[in-house]
Amino acid sequence: MPISEKVVISGYAETPVSRARTDKGEPRLSAEEYYAMALNMLLKQTGLDKKDLRGQGVGVAGAVWPHAEIWSAELVQNLGLEPKYLVRADHGGANCAALILSGMLAINSGYVDHFLVIGADAPMSVSGEGPRTWRYELDYLMPFGMMGPNSMIAMVMRRQMHLYKYGAETYGKISVTQREHASLNPNAYLRTPIKMDDYLASPMISDPVRLLDICIFVNGGLALLLSSKSSGRKITEKPVALRGFGSWHNPGSDESLQDVTVSGVVEASRQAYEMAGLKPSDIDFFNPYDDYTAAVIMQLEDAGFCPKGGAEKFLKETDISYRGQLPVNTGGGQLSAGQAGMVGGFHGFVEAVRQLRGEAGDRQVKDARYGMVTSLGGLAYGGCFINNYAFVLEGGI
Amino acid sequence: MAKPLPEITSLTRPLWEGAKRGELLLQRCRRCGKHQWYPRPSCHKCGSLDLEWVKSSGMGTVYSFTVIRRVVGNAPEFSSDIPFVVAEIDLDEGVRVYSNVVGVKPEEVSVGMRVRVFFEEAGPEISLFKFRPAT
Ligand SMILES: [Zn+2]
Repeated sequence: MPISEKVVISGYAETPVSRARTDKGEPRLSAEEYYAMALNMLLKQTGLDKKDLRGQGVGVAGAVWPHAEIWSAELVQNLGLEPKYLVRADHGGANCAALILSGMLAINSGYVDHFLVIGADAPMSVSGEGPRTWRYELDYLMPFGMMGPNSMIAMVMRRQMHLYKYGAETYGKISVTQREHASLNPNAYLRTPIKMDDYLASPMISDPVRLLDICIFVNGGLALLLSSKSSGRKITEKPVALRGFGSWHNPGSDESLQDVTVSGVVEASRQAYEMAGLKPSDIDFFNPYDDYTAAVIMQLEDAGFCPKGGAEKFLKETDISYRGQLPVNTGGGQLSAGQAGMVGGFHGFVEAVRQLRGEAGDRQVKDARYGMVTSLGGLAYGGCFINNYAFVLEGGI
Repeated sequence: MAKPLPEITSLTRPLWEGAKRGELLLQRCRRCGKHQWYPRPSCHKCGSLDLEWVKSSGMGTVYSFTVIRRVVGNAPEFSSDIPFVVAEIDLDEGVRVYSNVVGVKPEEVSVGMRVRVFFEEAGPEISLFKFRPAT
């Protein structure tokens, strides 16, 4: 029996998010507090008792919030969890995907029956130093005034615009549509709809990257419960299957002059489609990792929804709203719902599970059966992204 | 507030000593013959530890670039330089480096532009390699 027939997602949780604007009445909480909230919500939703997770698997994510090297040990002690298998991911934006993969393999092997994927971060509550960055950024980027990922993705976006003649409106369509989705998501941070003119008028930060090309940092916590299919069916009547998945790290490792407009999602999604026995036209909605609009454009191409260089034409011809032919980031994504620091990648998975359970409220994609979720992490020096994942999820099983 | 400077380590000392002399040095693998950038403890192509430092021609082509128009919280020391260009530059030796392109208005920088290295003193031990249009 294929692994995709043996493991399901049996529960999910997403806490309210905050920018810690106490002047606006927003809470200023720690990552530990968001972990506690996310677990509490997941237990309520699944109807499980904490002792049901005794001897099972737990995967936690790294955080911008200052934490110890033994962060996973600290968290399970805080939360009173007693797992048999405990892992921590350090894949940046791809943390959730990395933990889902670990959990699937652990359940498939029979080592555990449930695997709790949980992540929280509170970048807006951090005062002082966050974690140390990579050596190449310290030595070979910051001395020249590179402004972190905003400047890294600017290289990708400039190159896309140069090679494929994409105009700003192509990126704007992603920003505007995802904001519409956020306006229908009570859990999103930025909910005021925007128009193309608002996008075009938003300030240039790291030209050609505008403010509205960039995700917005929030504090928050999210969780998913993975279970064996038989155990998952006892928890919910609406388990979501993991029909296919794929991953790839550091693509083009021996190339010094990579094409920065191509990500490892080409290979990760190829694996996922092959395992699922599906093709891009079978997918009902797509939640690509969206730290930036340029990353969404790249993954529309890399996951096979349009040819490389064809995204502008595709976006002119395709409705990517929740009503359309290929809904994209139906919860508003990290661009508008918010990026909870190092666990921002959880949002796309939780939203996909909601959609496939028919619980997405006013933004529900009609008859959604297959959703693709991709994840990226770690912008490379002179290249694209280091960590790349793709998953095909199936509802109504 | 001072701008951030690279840390000199035993691995990178030759690079920064070379920059002080006005030379841009790259690692080259004695086993497979490939150049690499940024400096690393082993050849990222074949894994050999047998690396040598060789002088770059200092000539390259702009692969992509950004114009920094706003500083973010952790880099206020660059605010007086705005707007300025950081580019990915493909050196003729076949490696990609990030650096500033100066001596030209930001709006006149373009993908494909040929550039040549020069060195700018940034501290007692550090001169940064930067680029100008090659014409
Ligand atoms: Zn070699």
